Amino acid sequence: MSPSTRLNIGQSKKCKRFLQEFYSEDDSGKKVFKYGAQLVSLAHREQVALVVDLDDVAEEDPELVESVCENTKRYTGLFADAVHELLPEYREREVVAKDALDVYIEHRLMMEARGRDPADTRDFRNQYPSELMRRFEVYFRPPSTLKPKVVRDVKADSIGKLVTVRGIVTRATEVKPMMAVATYTCDQCGAETYQPIASPSFMPLIMCPSQECVTNKSGGRLYLQTRGSKFVKFQELRIQEHSDQVPVGNIPRSMTVYARGENTRVAQPGDHVAVSGVFLPLLRSGFRQAVQGLLSETYLEAHSITLMNKTEDDELGTEDLSEEELRQITEEDFYEKLAGSIAPEIYGHEDVKKALLLLLVGGVEQAPRGMKIRGNINICLMGDPGVAKSQLLSYIDRLAPRSQYTTGRGSSGVGLTAAVMRDPVTGEMTLEGGALVLADLGVCCIDEFDKMADADRTAIHEVMEQQTISIAKAGIMTSLNARCSILAAANPAYGRYNPRKSIEQNIQLPAALLSRFDLLWLIQDKPDTDNDLRLAQHITYVHQHSKQPPTHFTPIDMKLMRRYLTKCKRRQPVVPEPLADYITAAYVEMRKEARVSKDTTFTSARTLLSILRLSTALARLRMVDVVEKEDVNEAMRLMEMSKDSLQADKSNTTRTQRPADVIFSLVRELAGESGKVKAVRMAEAEQKCVSRGFTPAQFQAALDEYEELNVWQINQGRTRITFI
Amino acid sequence: MPSVQDWINNPLGVVDGAFAQNNSGAEWEKKVVEYFKEKLKVNGAQSWVPSLNDVPLHYLKPNSLVKFRCMIQDMFDPEFFMGVYETVDSSTNSKVLRCGKYKDVTDCGQVDFNSRNAVTSERQTFYCVPIPGESQWVKENYACSSQARVVPSTSYTPNRHKRSYEEDDEMDTQAQQENKLNSGPPNVDSHRNVESKRLETEAPSQNNSPSRCSSNLDLNFPLPGEQGPACLVKVYEGWDGFKLNDMLEVFGILSVDPALSLMADDKEASSLLDPTESMETVEEQRAHSPPASLVPRIHMLYAQPLKHNNPLLPSAVSEDKGAFLSGVLSELTSVRSELLTYLTHIFLGDSLAAEYLILHLISSVYARRDVLPLGKFTLNVSGCPHSSPYTDQLYQIIQQLVPSSYQICMSLHNMNNQRMVPRKDYTANRLVSGTLQLASNTSLFLDETQLEQGQLDATGVRNITALGNLISWQKVDYDFNYHQMEFPCNINVLIVSEGRSLLPSDCQVHLRPALSPPNLEEYLKTVQLAQASSQLNKYRVYFTVARSLDYNISDQITKAVEEDFVEMRKDDPQSVSAEDLHRMLIVARLLSLSYGQTSLSRENWIKAKQMEMMRISRTQQQKCVNGNEP
Repeated sequence: MSPSTRLNIGQSKKCKRFLQEFYSEDDSGKKVFKYGAQLVSLAHREQVALVVDLDDVAEEDPELVESVCENTKRYTGLFADAVHELLPEYREREVVAKDALDVYIEHRLMMEARGRDPADTRDFRNQYPSELMRRFEVYFRPPSTLKPKVVRDVKADSIGKLVTVRGIVTRATEVKPMMAVATYTCDQCGAETYQPIASPSFMPLIMCPSQECVTNKSGGRLYLQTRGSKFVKFQELRIQEHSDQVPVGNIPRSMTVYARGENTRVAQPGDHVAVSGVFLPLLRSGFRQAVQGLLSETYLEAHSITLMNKTEDDELGTEDLSEEELRQITEEDFYEKLAGSIAPEIYGHEDVKKALLLLLVGGVEQAPRGMKIRGNINICLMGDPGVAKSQLLSYIDRLAPRSQYTTGRGSSGVGLTAAVMRDPVTGEMTLEGGALVLADLGVCCIDEFDKMADADRTAIHEVMEQQTISIAKAGIMTSLNARCSILAAANPAYGRYNPRKSIEQNIQLPAALLSRFDLLWLIQDKPDTDNDLRLAQHITYVHQHSKQPPTHFTPIDMKLMRRYLTKCKRRQPVVPEPLADYITAAYVEMRKEARVSKDTTFTSARTLLSILRLSTALARLRMVDVVEKEDVNEAMRLMEMSKDSLQADKSNTTRTQRPADVIFSLVRELAGESGKVKAVRMAEAEQKCVSRGFTPAQFQAALDEYEELNVWQINQGRTRITFI
Repeated sequence: MPSVQDWINNPLGVVDGAFAQNNSGAEWEKKVVEYFKEKLKVNGAQSWVPSLNDVPLHYLKPNSLVKFRCMIQDMFDPEFFMGVYETVDSSTNSKVLRCGKYKDVTDCGQVDFNSRNAVTSERQTFYCVPIPGESQWVKENYACSSQARVVPSTSYTPNRHKRSYEEDDEMDTQAQQENKLNSGPPNVDSHRNVESKRLETEAPSQNNSPSRCSSNLDLNFPLPGEQGPACLVKVYEGWDGFKLNDMLEVFGILSVDPALSLMADDKEASSLLDPTESMETVEEQRAHSPPASLVPRIHMLYAQPLKHNNPLLPSAVSEDKGAFLSGVLSELTSVRSELLTYLTHIFLGDSLAAEYLILHLISSVYARRDVLPLGKFTLNVSGCPHSSPYTDQLYQIIQQLVPSSYQICMSLHNMNNQRMVPRKDYTANRLVSGTLQLASNTSLFLDETQLEQGQLDATGVRNITALGNLISWQKVDYDFNYHQMEFPCNINVLIVSEGRSLLPSDCQVHLRPALSPPNLEEYLKTVQLAQASSQLNKYRVYFTVARSLDYNISDQITKAVEEDFVEMRKDDPQSVSAEDLHRMLIVARLLSLSYGQTSLSRENWIKAKQMEMMRISRTQQQKCVNGNEP
């Protein structure tokens, strides 16, 4: 016995022991024999594939795991042998033969048992090859420590090893039967001969090798017996790496995957998959081997193929953010920092960026008693041509893990919603989703929103509130999910935004549609010396050094940001009772104001929902489970700023109102409410001002200014403002 | 003239020798590469190596060293091959270790596939095509500077009947002049060679065109109507450094073994028997292992990335580059003024348009800031005379000046039918090229005067979008069916149109002709003919040099520019936006570079501003004339 066979026996004992003895404890402390149970169902032909989880093996014998990963093909054989030997022990009842091959196997076993003669050493070719008698398949699941590789990292040194790769299936062949063991019968002596086949092609046997024929020199011819041969399902796939795994300026690589047995018919072209398997060179034989010369083709023999939908988790890797990364994000003023990291190449527009950040996080969706209130935040950016609207859109499109970028006039017939298409081959009607459907659970960026086709415009009403698309066309009646945030960009109708006209007039969109946007931003190009100088500095710096000017922070890496946002999305913050009162009060206030002033926007119940959405999104961003007052204040501030942006020029036409003046009037209003006292609680006043978009610093400055004018007095503790 | 050198004619001998010398270590591989690098560094050594670009394939000896000036069109999946293998001599039963690098087929004897000494290695295959849109003068010049002596490897003798090519006449004289200039001692032999070579390059292409149709082999050139050999370049090390659309000069071992073609034939025949064979479709076979006689293999020993493909400039490795540069720089200003006069004549006396054209032709993307490319300068020359061959002639003139260029007539038919964006063909597993797959610094000439009213179909819309993306972001989204992939590029786009172009552009100049010659065609011809070829050469060098200069802005000027901007905004905020400042800075940059100055001076900033003012006032006037609302 050679040392290698001895090693083999040692290893196969290990495998056997593992399969028999591995157990985990369930909740009640009972031992659960994971593989034992599977072996039972294998024995009764109720299960075909046995997946050995290498994580389980690692618990017993870490060394074995390493050897399995290094030399997977061999250990597949060893485990299969072990299972084969164990199966009779696990058989509890008689199994009904399912197909012809089962009957054959049974017969052969009986024959063998009957004709068993210890002295008779049979010709090895006439022995039953183990492959023929097995109806199960053994696969390994790679240990969780084994990280998925990129296709281009699978190199020559991975040959023979267990690897996991991710990619998109670009081609899949039909599933075909592939011969695993060929069975022949001799026309002279009737003996059966078996030929296990490992390579893709084989040379059929012709002469009968049985003792009888050889001694008699009868020249028995062998005939292939299809019913007695064993076939396995075989499918070949081609996977290509994901676009984000490809270095800039390179072509995505692809890889051939062979799937056998249970792994066939799992994936179709276009699917995102993770395949783990053994990376092997393809052996050719005969003439082909000589011609192919020095080349050898490779393939991945699949052990497991898992489908992934290309949502966040799969793409980002499920690993959590590390401590350091978390610290990097959750520094002081992380909110500004995160917002600033959105499209850092676009200068300014801090509030717009903050709003976009909230859009990416999204508010909490509520579904009290079947009524669904969307959590997604919709934003519309308007503005004069050339104010980087489209750039913001395309950045969000790249940042969001799942997104669709389209223009109002999509070029395809599918458009934004969905279309019913007739399949050219079968003539069947099929539904094809448009951008909004494809962006389900993501962001749909729609540029040139105002130029949208009428058919889409009606559909988008439904999407923006109910988050579904209903279709009743060509006999297909259905409702598709379109749970997406909409980020729209629109150009004003008359080339430039006219602040004297209402929004509907400026952008030719109906009010019903506009009110569905949580925030409407008007980005205008306004002259302002300070801003101009900063802008000029920014641009010249870029041209001088061909890079970003050093800011007080470095923008957060896109990938990191994506992962952080994903983490944020898992939170489901709630609005506590006391805060609800505060919000309602604020809302009532806003309604009152809207009635008084000739506002170009509307304040409706939708506004209230918007505030709630924004504040829950803010709470999510802070990774807390309860919405706080600051969140609500910031949400209201953003609302206020967005309104301000729409009527910015008003202040120019009348008299410029300094912040201090506005703050004064606000405080006086408060004082008027509280009756004769003519005194206001400082905290209350500040609250009010902050919610109207002023900073506490501005508030303090205004206090001091008016105190000097002797309009009001502030008490020692700075808690009350008393009017004189 | 060098004697027949071993390392050119039999590079595999060198490789095998090195392999035999140190059997054990892996250093021999490095040594081989070093050896060839050293050899090529020797002055002029590169010109002794025959080039696949100008020598027809059947003139080249198999397994000899060749060079190829090309662009990477596609990257195939890596191949695994036996880096070291063992052969068994059947008569003596002795085993010999052999090296499998730089070879396609096994040498001799029975290969022992189960040998323990065999080493599997990896190599990458690039599908390379000649640089798309390369101007004729570039090809001629490269061909002339080559000193390789090529002896036909077959008994094929070219029938040397005289033919005259109308368009070649001028080139010919020029080429001969070049020859006299280049080679010190009069060299009849090399001259003869050039001529025979030309005959040869023409001959196979003519022979081939019908036969190619029958074999239906598409060589996948980005531009329609291109000719020249395509090549499979096998790269052994450092393949991560190469990118798609890179321009390379590859030095490597030519392999045209007929066995390679045999393999392909065999596969087709056997595909019925073998279940796994069906995966590799016939199309894929055809794309990945085309007959070696049509698509030769080159096993790369050394490749130098080309920054430019201008043959008039010394190549990157030679030492006298510095001297050459300073020589060019000293007379840059004078060349510029000559060039300006020339172009002004072309633009019918419009010097502003000529200025802008110079700036456009030396522009190049020098950096990318996230998505925004810096330094691109797309020019839209509007007001071009319609329905006259003016635009065609303008293109011909530009073609004469830049190393590579391409003209797209934006007629409806073209827009609806041309494949512009490269697309991945999964059945053949290759990247099907499109006209927008161009190498860096190619001039793309869009002729919008050809556009007429009509319906754009889906392809047309896609093409227009692709052109728009190219202009705005200098990137092309290649179509990978399941997703799109962005490939950054650096293409100078020049749009000529009647009115304002429907495509975005960085800068629009309305042509204002000062003279109207009665016969436009004649006029342009005479202007063109007035330029001596030596002068043209000067211009060509000028563009390449000016483009490659470094540039910076001092802090002082930066301040001034910022103040200027704020001042301008104060006067009239609507007139100047951030984008205008961007553009002005680019104009200032290009203006300085065009004078050979590497930093921005105050004068140039003011001049750039004035140029912009003039241009803008011109377009505004034009709008008023047309009665369009401003």
